Amino acid sequence: MSLAITPEPKDRMNKRIPVPFSTQLPEIIRNNYGKWIDRKFHGNGIIEHISETGDRIFTIKVGLPPNSRLSVDTLEKFVDIADKYGLGVVRATRGMNLEFITDSLDKALKIKEEVEKLGFPVGGWGRSLWHITSCTAYLTCTTAVVDAPSITQVLYNYLKPYFTGEIELPAKLMIFVAGCPNICGGTLAGDIVIVGHYGQAPKPDPERIKFCLPASAEALKKVTPDVAAVCPVGAIKLFGKPDGSVGIEVDERKCIACSRCKNVCDYFDWDPNKIGVAIFAGGKTSNTGTGPRLPYKVVPWLPVNPPEYREVVAAVRKIIDVWRSEAKPGERLGDYIDRIGIDEFMSKLGVPRTRHNRCEEASWNFGVRQFITYM
Amino acid sequence: MSEQKTPSDLERGMKMLEYLEGGPWPSYVKELRKTKYPIEAYAEGLAKKYTPWLSGSFRVRYVFSGILARRSRDGKFVEIHFRTYTPAGRFYSTSYLRKVIEVAKKYGIELLELGGNTGALVMNMIAEKADEAVDAIRTIIGTDVGGSGDTFREFYACPGPALCEFALYDTLHAMDYVRSHPAIYRYLNTQMFPYKIKFKFSGCPMDCAMANSRADFALIGTWVGAPEVDQGLLRKMVEEGKINPKELVESCPSKAIAWDEERKELRIDGSKCLKAMNCIRRAFPAIKPGRNRKIALLVGAHAQGHFGPKLGRAVALLDSIEDVIPFATELINKYMELAPRRHRIGDMIIRRGFKVISEVADKTLPNKPRGTPSAHLRVSIGAVLTDDERKMYEDWSRSLVKEYFSEG
Repeated sequence: MSLAITPEPKDRMNKRIPVPFSTQLPEIIRNNYGKWIDRKFHGNGIIEHISETGDRIFTIKVGLPPNSRLSVDTLEKFVDIADKYGLGVVRATRGMNLEFITDSLDKALKIKEEVEKLGFPVGGWGRSLWHITSCTAYLTCTTAVVDAPSITQVLYNYLKPYFTGEIELPAKLMIFVAGCPNICGGTLAGDIVIVGHYGQAPKPDPERIKFCLPASAEALKKVTPDVAAVCPVGAIKLFGKPDGSVGIEVDERKCIACSRCKNVCDYFDWDPNKIGVAIFAGGKTSNTGTGPRLPYKVVPWLPVNPPEYREVVAAVRKIIDVWRSEAKPGERLGDYIDRIGIDEFMSKLGVPRTRHNRCEEASWNFGVRQFITYM
Repeated sequence: MSEQKTPSDLERGMKMLEYLEGGPWPSYVKELRKTKYPIEAYAEGLAKKYTPWLSGSFRVRYVFSGILARRSRDGKFVEIHFRTYTPAGRFYSTSYLRKVIEVAKKYGIELLELGGNTGALVMNMIAEKADEAVDAIRTIIGTDVGGSGDTFREFYACPGPALCEFALYDTLHAMDYVRSHPAIYRYLNTQMFPYKIKFKFSGCPMDCAMANSRADFALIGTWVGAPEVDQGLLRKMVEEGKINPKELVESCPSKAIAWDEERKELRIDGSKCLKAMNCIRRAFPAIKPGRNRKIALLVGAHAQGHFGPKLGRAVALLDSIEDVIPFATELINKYMELAPRRHRIGDMIIRRGFKVISEVADKTLPNKPRGTPSAHLRVSIGAVLTDDERKMYEDWSRSLVKEYFSEG
């Protein structure tokens, strides 16, 4: 049974984009668009926006399950709440949480009460944990090394008081969890970023690697197949075998376990006992403080043991505890590390230093600071 | 004598899922269980520490972007998900979401990823109904599938003027404008680029869209000169004790602020100001961004690329969003011509030097103030460790686990 609404599948060539954005907005936001002049916090999860026209709206931030996975059933309940107490609009934040918008504090508190009844926490603004963003990993991904949603889940379980504001942090904290070096978990420039990686050079699957290689060695003379071309360090060598087929070799000394070869070919294998996560700290994209920068790789490898991931949780808690006990108010993790120096920070963590976490300090201007001559 | 049976991977995995449902944070496993998602495949993967999915091939006629298909390694399950374009700023009206729900119930497995990291709303679909689902998404919801593969990924804008007093340009309009501009729009249903291209729009230097570290084309609101100070209002706020002027001076990362105690006036040196928004955040609306507003254009940032993650490199300060189109068109042509497969624009800059960008900017953005782009060292995410190194970190983590989990 086909749908009668599309007589002509060719129409699909022209993508239908949900424009204009203004059709999604309630009238009060359209009227005060660009006219906001102030904001007030009511606890960690409610912001009051004040317009020059005197109108006020209240935004309520609600924590969602890792990877913002929602069943239709739960979403329906949210939509009902947004219609009943809100302005008929919600916003999915960049940090994979959800914002409700309403026009009075009473209704905002009512929304808070309703979502908490459903088991969803409210918080995540100001000096708190803003979000833990996760990639999909084992839920759908073909290249994931470790499972990010489950790591995110256990981290959230431990760090929930930082989100709701029961325990205050020195400044905002954003955590990103990615299952592999592609970092679909958001960005590398986050306060704490956890990235899964192989920790070893990939081994071509002897049976099936042929699906990623040309059938005959003759082809190598004309073009380098993707599987070797994507290697940024030239560790993958293809060669013609005497029988005319193509052989493959991975140089373990050159390999940096970036898993780019895995992106183009599924038939690489590895030892699940050697996979692990790297933990990065102190990056940010915001231009506040000392400006945007990439983070330091503080821990190059930690074992992953689902479902508790105790090693990962302990390391993240350690980083937060060091920062929390020593940072000045309003000082983000990266700014704090800059003030005391990365060497000092590493020794406070007590993490062993090897060639993998030498952590060179960078002192360039990034982001809009690159326009300094015109500022 | 009965033998102790070792649990299978599936049994161990299901046990793990039970653990993941037990915590105080809302559990994604609970959500998965309410849907028809093949949770056994996920559980088994979790236990094996090995992703259960392989890429599958799946085609819907005339749709070349936005549909992703997986099959499980054991061949028992398939998983199809659609990325859909979202309204700018990801403001979803409830009527929009009700239509999403309607389609997800009828054609999908009732599972959604509400705010995907690309910017898309992801809907899990049933393979047999995928063809109809595309039309349903187009006609019922009024959006479309798209944003996967070597094309424009879903655009993302910070909420901008809709919710934020700091927005320096209209990010939501900018996103709609760029995404539906014919020069950009014509590539949406193709896979013609060497790799993906992302646009992100941030209204102010605080960069809530994270454009600076994630977008090939980052458009960040900024201004030239010093922030604007309403001395009268500021004096009033100081008298009321809302602002401590000494703290403003001390905390300024640019060291550009001076407080005149006699005349009760704040002076900001515009030539030193790094646009860190520090004073503005503390003393808004007495201190506001300057009037000479610009859109900073940065290119080449990404997390996923041939040479590892990079931050954006400064190109020019634009006066309006329209200025970006000729530049982007030209650069995209260059990108298609010069970059090898699986190289992002940032990788092309490493291969060819920044002059590749400067040339395009000279041609398409003459007379615009230009930036002085910085570079940074390559960052390696993964690492090949020796057994000794692995042991070192294992021992360290063991001591931490003792520190944090000894009570339980």
